[in-house]
Amino acid sequence: MDLLRLVWRNLWRRKLRTFLTVGSLVVAFFLLCTLRTLVTTIQSGADAASASRLIVQSAVSLFVDLPQSYQTKIQSVPGIEGISKWQWFGGYYQEERNRFAQFAVDPAETLEIYPEMQITEGSAEAFEKQRRGALIGTGLVEKYGWKLGDTVPILPELFPHPDGPGIAWEFEVAAIYEPTARNFDPNMMMFHWDYFEDTVKAGSGEAPGVGTYILALEPGADPTAVMGRVDALFENGPQRVQTTSESEFQKQFVSMFGNVPFFVSAIGGGVLIAILLAVVNTMLMAGREQTRDIGILKALGFTDGDAVKLLALQSMLICLVGAGLGLLLAQVTEPGIAGALGSMFPGYAVTSSTYALGAVVAVGLGLFAGIAPAWRAARLDTVQALSAKD
Amino acid sequence: MKLVPLSYNLRSLIVRRGPTLLTVLGIAATVATVAGVLALQQGFATLYAENGRADLAVVMRPGATSEGVSSFTREGALRIAKSTPEFAVDANGAPLASLECFLAVRRYRVDGGETNVPLRGVQPATFAIRGDELRMSEGRNFVAGTDEVIVGRSITDRINNCHVGDVLTINVTPFKVVGVFECDGPFESEIWGDFDRMLSALDRFGPNRVLGKLAEGTDVQALDARLRESRETPAAVTTERDYLTAQTEVLSAILVFLGAFLGLIMGVAAVFTATNTMLSAIASRTPEIGILLSTGFRPLSIFLSFLFEAVLLGLLGGVLGALLVLPLNGIQTGTTNFQTFTEVAFGFRITAPVLLTAIGFSLALGVIGGTLPALRAARMTPTEALRRQ
Repeated sequence: MDLLRLVWRNLWRRKLRTFLTVGSLVVAFFLLCTLRTLVTTIQSGADAASASRLIVQSAVSLFVDLPQSYQTKIQSVPGIEGISKWQWFGGYYQEERNRFAQFAVDPAETLEIYPEMQITEGSAEAFEKQRRGALIGTGLVEKYGWKLGDTVPILPELFPHPDGPGIAWEFEVAAIYEPTARNFDPNMMMFHWDYFEDTVKAGSGEAPGVGTYILALEPGADPTAVMGRVDALFENGPQRVQTTSESEFQKQFVSMFGNVPFFVSAIGGGVLIAILLAVVNTMLMAGREQTRDIGILKALGFTDGDAVKLLALQSMLICLVGAGLGLLLAQVTEPGIAGALGSMFPGYAVTSSTYALGAVVAVGLGLFAGIAPAWRAARLDTVQALSAKD
Repeated sequence: MKLVPLSYNLRSLIVRRGPTLLTVLGIAATVATVAGVLALQQGFATLYAENGRADLAVVMRPGATSEGVSSFTREGALRIAKSTPEFAVDANGAPLASLECFLAVRRYRVDGGETNVPLRGVQPATFAIRGDELRMSEGRNFVAGTDEVIVGRSITDRINNCHVGDVLTINVTPFKVVGVFECDGPFESEIWGDFDRMLSALDRFGPNRVLGKLAEGTDVQALDARLRESRETPAAVTTERDYLTAQTEVLSAILVFLGAFLGLIMGVAAVFTATNTMLSAIASRTPEIGILLSTGFRPLSIFLSFLFEAVLLGLLGGVLGALLVLPLNGIQTGTTNFQTFTEVAFGFRITAPVLLTAIGFSLALGVIGGTLPALRAARMTPTEALRRQ
């Protein structure tokens, strides 16, 4: 206990230095935590996937649609229980930064294929019946304050409204879903394929293509066999398709980031090295200044082990306080950063594994930075230490 | 005023070599990280901005932000290409204008993972317009009207089936890779083939854009205004340089922001460390400061001397940091430009601005970190300083 008080007193002995060291630790841990969260956010998309769904998309390009005529052919493949057309609408609400995922879908089929969407307000029936009805996630309710029955205008970028450029499509909130699975996106909006198709036709005279077909597998069906059968249907065109599991589908977007996660991790490594050097430096300085104190302690009968503890605990305490505050800062700034990143990195959230990693790094750093001064303190000769300059 | 000899500071740094080294390394790590991010931004930005030509017109559908979302009917695009008097003409009097189609196609990286590679179908006029911008570094150019393609140098080793002799299948049509080209601009990340063969392979109808060489002295804004008003085929015109610059704004801004953000945050930590080191240096040299003061050095000289020492620490860190990032120069990497959703390969470029920023940054770290300790040293009174033992 006395030793702990001594540790505490020693830290206050040079207030400015302790403050500066803790300050740089706070900054470094905040940065480490933020950088790692960027990486986990990029990679988290693939975690929400279900094994019982397959996605059919063009094998040629992300930007090529499939003909609607493919639906009946795909449906006839054994092992498929349900199918829905999906098309990415790519619009925004009021301002360009208010982006979220909007899809034109087959309503009843989509609700069957996605049991993760639990309807908490409104009803599946209402969504299926209302032609301009939309199903929105609880995330959008929180963000924009939409309620059941509200009319939501969405400005299109890919599918101009037939009434002219700059005119918003209007949807009516018919149901609100809450995700029952972790990682399932609560920020989606879905609306009727038929309404979408008729409106597009009224403008351009042509029916829109299908971005992806979402398939639900029959229980017990072999996904690989189904994928092979669907792909084989269109082997000779006109548009080849690529059927993948949902997680493979998500991974293609992760893959687009290329080396970005690696670079972010490398930057984190640079931060870690810089902070390690700083803490080791501080602790060596502290150890040297306390040489005479150690001599006095030893002369009073304290053991070498006590001397080690005195310095190791100082290092540990500084690291834990600095890291704790840094992680706290990362948590406090989370909503702000998530807002600033916006649609570039949707779903920025510090995970518990990041906090755990921060704690482990803090303990490791505390141990490592304490080793050299503690070892030196243990080996100090009492007489020499006593004659050291302050 | 008598200045404290600089050798005093140099010797002090050497005597306290442990803390000196740790501080210098810490600053070096900070400077290297920031310089690395800036080098990436330079590589990316120069690839686009410096290589776009101001004498080329990019004609797209009004409202289209990139060629991927622009489209024309074949007739409309032909009308623009053939009957725009602002376009220069070749020796035979034919306008130097070309229809191009563009699609980001699904490809696999050699090291695994999917990405979107730009595929461009061009007419022979494109090569007349480009002149020697494109250089074949391997094999030969494709023959117009055939199922042959050429591939940009920077993707041959990154993307599957992109070497001379390989067969590259687009939708259901096999294309033969007959050559590899070099080019200073972003085209080096693209696959090029014959315009009509590409359209047919992709099962598409019209071109995405018209590329034209502008006759000397053309007013691009007037041309843009005129074509926008066209009743048959409204079109928007920009120079290639403006078009390419616009394609990189977002990613470039993100990299600059990241560099500044890291510089600020890691800089704070580095300043704290430098301050700590200098404080400790001054504490252990208090009697020396007493001697300096009592032998007639003014407080200002003491202040400058210690500030110089801190700046020297910063500069050493800066130089070391700059040396650490130098090997990155030229290393190729790639990511998706989310404005165009296509993979773009680019290299780290350690340019003079990057190095100057790194050194300037390290000097600033030294000055900011050294001011407080140097003030503390300058305020000491000789008698008290001498008494401290």
